[in-house]
Formats: sequence, structure tokens, C-alpha cells
Amino acid sequence: MSWKNIRLIFVKELVGTIRDRRTIIAMIIIPLIFYPLLFTGIGYFNKLGSMKSEEATSNIIIYGAEFAPQLVKYFQGNEKIEILNIKENSSSKLENGDVQAVLEIPSDFKYKIEQGGAGVLILKYDATEAKSRIAQKRINQIIEKYKGEIVLQRLSHLGLKEEFITPLILKEENIATAEKIAGSFLAVLLPYLIIILIFIGAMHTAVDLTAGEKERGTIATLLVSQISRLEIVLGKCFAVMFISFTSMVLGLLGLTLAFLSGASIAGGIEGAKFGISINTIFLIFLVLLPLVGLASAVLVMVGIFARNIREASSYITPIYMLTIFLGIISISQGIELTSKMFLVPVLNSSFVFKELLMGKICWDHIITTFSANTIIAGFALLESTRLFTKEEVLFRS
Amino acid sequence: MIQVEGLTKIFKDKKRGKVVAINNLKFECQKGQIFGLLGPNGAGKTTTLRILATMMVPTQGKAEVNGFDVVKDANKVRRHIGFLSSETGLYDRFTPRETVKFFGRINGIEDKIIEKRMAEIFRNLDMEDFQDVRVNKLSTGMKQKLSIARSIIHNPPILILDEPTVGLDIITARTVIEYVKKFKEEGKCIIYSTHIMREAEKLCDVIAIIHQGNIIAKGTLEELKKNSLSDDLEEIFFGLINQGENLK
Ligand SMILES: Nc1ncnc2c1ncn2[C@@H]1O[C@H](COP(=O)(O)OP(=O)(O)O)[C@@H](O)[C@H]1O
Ligand SMILES: [Mg+2]
Repeated sequence: MSWKNIRLIFVKELVGTIRDRRTIIAMIIIPLIFYPLLFTGIGYFNKLGSMKSEEATSNIIIYGAEFAPQLVKYFQGNEKIEILNIKENSSSKLENGDVQAVLEIPSDFKYKIEQGGAGVLILKYDATEAKSRIAQKRINQIIEKYKGEIVLQRLSHLGLKEEFITPLILKEENIATAEKIAGSFLAVLLPYLIIILIFIGAMHTAVDLTAGEKERGTIATLLVSQISRLEIVLGKCFAVMFISFTSMVLGLLGLTLAFLSGASIAGGIEGAKFGISINTIFLIFLVLLPLVGLASAVLVMVGIFARNIREASSYITPIYMLTIFLGIISISQGIELTSKMFLVPVLNSSFVFKELLMGKICWDHIITTFSANTIIAGFALLESTRLFTKEEVLFRS
Repeated sequence: MIQVEGLTKIFKDKKRGKVVAINNLKFECQKGQIFGLLGPNGAGKTTTLRILATMMVPTQGKAEVNGFDVVKDANKVRRHIGFLSSETGLYDRFTPRETVKFFGRINGIEDKIIEKRMAEIFRNLDMEDFQDVRVNKLSTGMKQKLSIARSIIHNPPILILDEPTVGLDIITARTVIEYVKKFKEEGKCIIYSTHIMREAEKLCDVIAIIHQGNIIAKGTLEELKKNSLSDDLEEIFFGLINQGENLK
């Protein structure tokens, strides 16, 4: 085995892949340009919409204003609320958005309040309309305020203090550090994203370099050269690993950019510090490498076995489903981790990522995961090489 | 330079069961000679040439290329052969220069020597104008020239050509045939398969007619004519096939 030969194949595959416009679109344009633009756009329009509805005054109709003059005064005093003096067709006006809410005050309201009873108010609004929801919120605030006042009045009638109705006050302190908060948020999604990005990144290239080469008839020209089958398989696998790893990194970068740009426009993420230490990042990469190797080796193996690109894709679909399934399992909370679980590829890396992102370093988990994935990747590579020497596989018709 | 003795290949096909692709072949080919394997589709030409090019292992028999056994010394055999077939493709996203360089390197040739030989080959094959254009932009003719260049960059003494003109227009096919002749003049040993009578007639010093895995006649064109009643290769060919059918 010569590294020079492996490098020849590696470089050739890499150059070929990078020159493929589809690779560039999938690896660079989509994550680094499309995601951020999309999120920025969504964030921008969200903000634009919410700004408009926050600023606009809410038009409301009040029926039976004369039964609650006190309350109506509050409404009149609010700058953001405009009481319209219309009495007809209120429901159709609410539907077509001319008014954002309708408040109905029954005739016995004043009497009930004075008697120490409960005055019932009916508020009609459209929960699917942002403007109507805002009107509802504003009305609610005013009513809460009015309610507080009545309660105070009633208490003072009875000669009681305000504390009488708030006998307990609980003060909570959250001791989670910014690192842990960021970690727990990331820990849920990031492992899953990483696994999917690795797989998607490897998929197209792995098939193109194996089944694709069979389909285009270039494989025979490699087989008659001085390069051994093992060197060909290794060179191809390393190229797939490189592409897979790079697209994962670019994908994460793109998503981060997208998240930040989208969020900053929509008002910023308060206090979200991504407090991940260099050590954690190093360990994450350590666990990542065998996972990338595993995904690449398995996909290369499948690609070599397949007759053509189409067949390869149909073999890969169930593997992809399985990966997503394992990813989803790893997302679901509250799974009791046993040490045997760290022998299951994909699942193990996902759990270790989770631990690392939460600031936990369990060496036995890291070592088990690293070894299990490396060994399985090694087997897949050996099997690929074996398939590559089998004429039944190379020249299946 | 090529010696084949009792060469047999049996495929185990799922649908058809055992398929005897070639049966007990025996032939040889010398330096400066073009040996033609002439036969219809499915006769066993590709199988024979794949075994000679070390891509397949024979079920029985023995083949030596330049003195090396195709099974035991596969790597040494590969050093001495150039392989080209109608099915071998090219890498679309590379230029002719890059392609030829890559094949030089994976055949263990030093860069300096590659550059020298490449310049020479490109001049001879009249490829200089498009040497830096990506393969997907080349015409079929240009591509076939590149395929030839690719297969001879390591200066192999033996060329294994499996129906290299299939799918080419007549002009390109003619160019290919011209170059095969030139390689013969350079003293290379060439084994050439085809299903086209005219090609075999024009090109080959020795012709083996292969049918259903068996060589049913072998010799120079003159010898084939002498042994049969006809002067026309096509007549000879069908005569032999009918003879075979009748014997069954
Ligand atoms: N990989 C294979 N598996 C099974 N049968 C094959 C395989 N390759 C060739 N054959 C069979 O062997 C016979 C000879 O085929 P081939 O050598 O390709 O003929 P030719 O090149 O003369 O057209 C055919 O019957 C073909 O179907
Ligand atoms: Mg053939």
C-alpha cells in the first residue's frame, strides 16, 4: 500500500467532485447563501409585520358602555385603543378586519360589581389575526388593571391589606450558567443536525465515485493500472470523508449564520452566549471523525456493490431512514443510557455529542464510541475492498 | 507476447445457470502483429480480453502476457498493457492533459517522463488544440483520441482493444484504425476484437473467428480463404457457423 497512490486517487476524486456544479450548489450555495437569506427574509418580514401591528391602534366596539363607565374611561385613556361608535354588523366588521375586537358589557354589570359579585364581560376577537390578538392583549391588560382596583377596594372595605390575598411569595433563582443553557438547547438539536449533515454530504459523492464510475465505464481504466484495489477504495473513501466533513462544517456554519441573522433582525436572542470551550470542540471532533469515516465507508461499500447510480440510491434510502430514526431516538428526552448503547453506531455519537455539549466528559463513553465506530468503519472498508476484487460485483450486468 | 492455452470462463448466472462464455481457447500473438478476434455479439470477445487485461480470472486454462501469468502476476501484466474498449469511459470534468497525466501517474510513470510523452502523443494524435478543454465539451472523435492517449501514456508494448470503433462515426472509426496500424508499425503487439468483417480484413494479421465461446477457425486472411470455398470473409464466416450448427 502506498500513500502516494492513495493520494493520487484522493486528489482526483476531490477535484472531480469540486468541479461538479451540483456539489458546489449543495455544499456552498445552499448552506452559506440560501439558508441565511431565507432566515433573514423570514425574520425581516416577521418583524415588519409585527412592527406594523404593534404600532397600529386597535379599533374596538363596546356594547353597553353605559353599564361600566369606570371601565370605559380606562379604554378611552389608552392611546392605542380607538372605540368606534358603530352598533351594527359588528361580527362582519370583525371578520373583515375593520375592527379588531368587540367587547360586550351586560346590563347587570354595574350592579354585580357593587354587590360584590362577578361582572361577566364577553370579548370577541379573531385569534388567527395578529392585529386582533394584539387588541385582545391590550383589552386584557386594561381589564386586569381594573380588576386589581376593584379587589383593592373590596379588601379595604373589609379592613384587609393587599397581602391578605397573596400569602405566599416564591422567589426562584436559576443557577444554570449561560454555557449550560446554550448547551442544553444545542444538545437537543445539534447531534441530530450533525449526523444528518454528515450523511447527506457523503451520500451523493460516495455514489458518484463508485456506482457512478461503474455506470460511466471509467472503472475498468483504474483496474488495469498499477494502483491496488485497496488503494483505490481508500483514496475514494478519504475523498468522501473529506467532502462529508466539509459539507457538515459548512452546513453548521450556514445554519448558525442563518439563525443569527434571522434572530438579530427579529429582535436578538437575549443573553444567548455560545459558551463551548476549545476542549469540548476538540473532543467533539474526535468523536466526529470515526462517524464521518463510518458513514463514508458504508456508503462507498453500498455504491461499489450497486450496478448503477439508481440502484445505489435505492439501497441508500433505507440506510438514510435508519440514520434519521437513530437521530430521532437520540433527540427524544429521558432515555436511560446504558453502556451497551454506546456500541450502536450513530446513536453513540449522538449521545456523546449531547454529553459534551452539556459539559459532561465521560471518557468511557467517548472511548467506546470512538472504538466501535472506527472498527465498524474498518470492516466496511475491508468489505469494500473485497467487493472491489470480485468480478461478479464489478461486472454485473 | 501473448499466449493463451485452454482458456475457459464459466459464469454462474442467476437466470441462465452456468454460461460457458469462452471454451478452451488457444492462440498467440507476436510483437508487431495484430491479432483479431472476430465474432458476433455474445461470442466471448469481451470476456477473453478482460481476462487478458487481468480484470477477470479464468475458470480454467492459462494466459501469459509478456511472459507473466495474468492471474499470478497480474500487477506485472498491467504494467505492460494498454486497455481500451467501447465501454471504457473518460472523466467528464477533467481536461485531456489532466486525464493523461493522471493515468501516467497511476501507472507509476514519473512526471517528467509523462510531460515528454504527453507532448509527443498529443502531437501525433493531433490533440494540441483541445488539450485544455474539459472532456464533456469534446466531440466523440476527440474523446476517442483521448482514450487512446490515455491507454498508451505508459508506453505499453501490448495493446488490448475491445471493439474500439463501436458507436463511432465512420470518420472517427477510420482515425482509430489508422492509429492502430501505426502502433503496429511501432512494433506493438495488438489484440483487437471486432464484429465487423471489413475491419478484421483490413487490419488483422491473424484472425480468429469466435462463435459461442469457441474459436472455429484461425489463420491469416489467406489461410482462411484457402481452407474455405469462398474469397469473402463474410461468406467464410457464415459457412463456418453453419458447419458448426450442422455438426450439432
Ligand atoms: N458478468 C457476466 N455474468 C454472466 N454472464 C456474462 C457476464 N459477462 C458476459 N457474460 C455472458 O458471456 C457470454 C459472452 O459475452 P461477451 O464476452 O461479452 O461477448 P462479446 O464481447 O463477444 O459480445 C455472453 O453469453 C454473455 O451474456
Ligand atoms: Mg463485447
